[in-house]
Amino acid sequence: MKTAGTGFRLAAALAVIIILITGGRPLREHRQFPVEIVCGPGVTEIRPLSHYLPALKDTPADTPVFILRGTETGGAALIMGNTHANEPEGMLAVAIMIENALVEKGTLYLIPFFNRSASLNTRPGEGYPLYFSLLTPWGQKKFRLGNRDASPLDQWPDPDVYIHYPEKQMLSYLDIRNTNRTWPGRRNGLPMEQVTFAAMELLRRERVDMAIDLHGAETMFPVTNCIVAPEKSMRIATLASLTVKSMEGFENHLESSPEKFRGLSHREIGDYSDTLPFLLEAPIPFLDQPTGAKTEQLFLDGRDDFLLSLAGQKKLFVPYDQSGWPLDRRVGQHLSVTLEIIRQFSRKTPERAVVIRNVPRYSEIVTKGTGSYFHHPASAEKDRVVKL
Amino acid sequence: MLAQTLIITVIIIAAYALAKWRGLSVELSLLVATVAGALGGSVFRTPKIGEIPRHLVEGSFTYLDVILVFFTATLFITIVQESGGVNFAVRQAVIRFSRLRFLSLFLLMIIVLIPGALTGAGSVSLLVVGAPVALALKGLGVPEKKIPAILFILAGLAAAAPPVNIWAMVLCAGTAIPYVGFELPLGLPVIILGTLTIFILGGRRAEAGDLEAFLEKTRCHPAMNWFRLLTPFAVFFALVLAYRLWPFSFPVLGLPLEFLLASLAALALSPVRLNLVKVASATVSKLLPLLAIMVIVGMLQQVMAASGVKGLISYSVLIIPLGLLFCLLPLIIPASEGVLTYGGAAIIGIPLVWYLNSLGYHATVVISGLSLLWPLGDGLPPTALIGRLSLMVSGYEGKYWHFLRQTWVPWLIITAAGMLMIIFSGRLRFLVIG
Repeated sequence: MKTAGTGFRLAAALAVIIILITGGRPLREHRQFPVEIVCGPGVTEIRPLSHYLPALKDTPADTPVFILRGTETGGAALIMGNTHANEPEGMLAVAIMIENALVEKGTLYLIPFFNRSASLNTRPGEGYPLYFSLLTPWGQKKFRLGNRDASPLDQWPDPDVYIHYPEKQMLSYLDIRNTNRTWPGRRNGLPMEQVTFAAMELLRRERVDMAIDLHGAETMFPVTNCIVAPEKSMRIATLASLTVKSMEGFENHLESSPEKFRGLSHREIGDYSDTLPFLLEAPIPFLDQPTGAKTEQLFLDGRDDFLLSLAGQKKLFVPYDQSGWPLDRRVGQHLSVTLEIIRQFSRKTPERAVVIRNVPRYSEIVTKGTGSYFHHPASAEKDRVVKL
Repeated sequence: MLAQTLIITVIIIAAYALAKWRGLSVELSLLVATVAGALGGSVFRTPKIGEIPRHLVEGSFTYLDVILVFFTATLFITIVQESGGVNFAVRQAVIRFSRLRFLSLFLLMIIVLIPGALTGAGSVSLLVVGAPVALALKGLGVPEKKIPAILFILAGLAAAAPPVNIWAMVLCAGTAIPYVGFELPLGLPVIILGTLTIFILGGRRAEAGDLEAFLEKTRCHPAMNWFRLLTPFAVFFALVLAYRLWPFSFPVLGLPLEFLLASLAALALSPVRLNLVKVASATVSKLLPLLAIMVIVGMLQQVMAASGVKGLISYSVLIIPLGLLFCLLPLIIPASEGVLTYGGAAIIGIPLVWYLNSLGYHATVVISGLSLLWPLGDGLPPTALIGRLSLMVSGYEGKYWHFLRQTWVPWLIITAAGMLMIIFSGRLRFLVIG
């Protein structure tokens, strides 16, 4: 015979099931949502990253490498976005290059979703929106907002402590799923170690001269709004920093890559290959802890009253006013600094030059908006649209 | 924005207070506060009403890895306990060293520290060795009202002890600092503070210790011996060490599987026949309030982030002037733990470490100092996880505040130690090796 207690329990169980279904479905849809990128006229080939390490083939960690080969031979550059998929400014900058860039000399290797698994993941406990949308000339374009680390659905369990290969430095257990802690990677390692190993193989086999890893960081983090570079890349980084400041009017200071902190792209790529590494950080107020609600609007415009108040007390590491730090500024900075690094390298080493045109710079992005540079997938030839 | 966030904060607090007033448990009251906060936030579309179920489900996964470790570690120790291993160890400690009372107390302290140090959870220490250690303390003449206080402080220190300190790991991951060099800045204060605690609270023999009663209550199977007791621990340590020694050839098993394998070894060596399914069911029942709180605190944290309340807490700490901040940290840090458990480390700890680091304080020592303060909050409401467990395992029937009052001397000493480590972190950098 049913009692009142049983009735309550049944109702509670039913409520839990309904919440699990209605709450779980958007998370499942997020994992399956395709971001469409239209290949511009400059894209000459698309290869999976598994081309450089077949073990990655048919895994969620595999990701496309867009190749833009110039008519004239020259040097090569690799540009990566979404190493941390909750910092998608880099992904947007790379996607704009894929859709618009034309390479006259040398070769560009572009990876918009470097840690693809992280882009399929969400960030429990942080209350992030699942998506953000950009206004384009043809309507709204929607993107997944991911997590810093790969999804545990794709790489699990974590160790109690992550021991970095090959330096044996101990790092937080979470960092074993962070592709900016697993460089230079391991052929037979865990999936994220294989992703970075495959990228190292790309750098070595294709004789890539520059590797640029695009990130974002909190305004309260000292290493923000900057170029991080090891000693061997510092000259080029300095020239790029000074040029964007004088020619385009924005700050992007220099940070030297610490020798004792292992696993980061700006350290290991330089130490384990001939490539010059650079890591760019754009300030993302959305990532800061002391902000208001974590909304799509905050992600897009970077405006927050709490941060404004803290800026008044000089507790932020970037200048911050009523205008916030909008997405367009972040993407524009990444594009300008990237182009400037490539230009400075090409000036210094003409025989290995990479010459690119038709990529918007900071002022154009800020004026016209990031969305202006995306093409309508429905109007493009089907074989030129890649779903990621 | 401030007014809107304050309104949602008030809704969360009021809903919690109302639920408690209506006699709901802490877990259900927190759930009510979470749902009320989400609904209150939806008025301002932070979050939108249609997104509430997603936030609740997503937030419930925040501490899944910690929950798995809690469950498997407790299962392991429950098997050791059911097989008579824990009673055996505690009896040996007391019988062998009963004439050397201080040495007995010291060994009991080490016994409490080990499970928490290995798992990062003081609750595991209490669930595993709390009850027999409480009996042993009684046997050694420690006043009954001091026993839960000793267990509470030691369990907190166990959670802070290396190699696994979850607060430090959360902070390291969030601040891009390697989880390296914490052995001395964490290990040294934990041993010193643990020793002081057990001698201050248990040093004076207030009543004649009833050793006979203790031996009677801690009977174990005659076939239990050191080999049967230590082999499962050796299996666990071997698995942990194997990855450290051969990280690139030994598979990553993870703490949950390592505890499960050690559990199988304990089961095979138990002189008492145990039913694994029954033990596992009993473990789940025993841990249910703890697991429920971890799930609900994850949901609450998600709702607080989506509605801006989490940011408001972080902001409120950061606007305090540095001198005043140092004066208030002994209150703020434990209070954040009492409300958010590990969430406090992310919300307050991450910006705090960056801020102090930018002023020249040594991040690793600062994190270690903060790690001593957070466990104190596990005795504070609304969660009071470790405080409640300490009462439960020691069988103390007095009022909660009476128990908590007993902890004040070690509480102050630990607070002073933690604060001195933070303020003089630069001078203590020599402790950081690696």
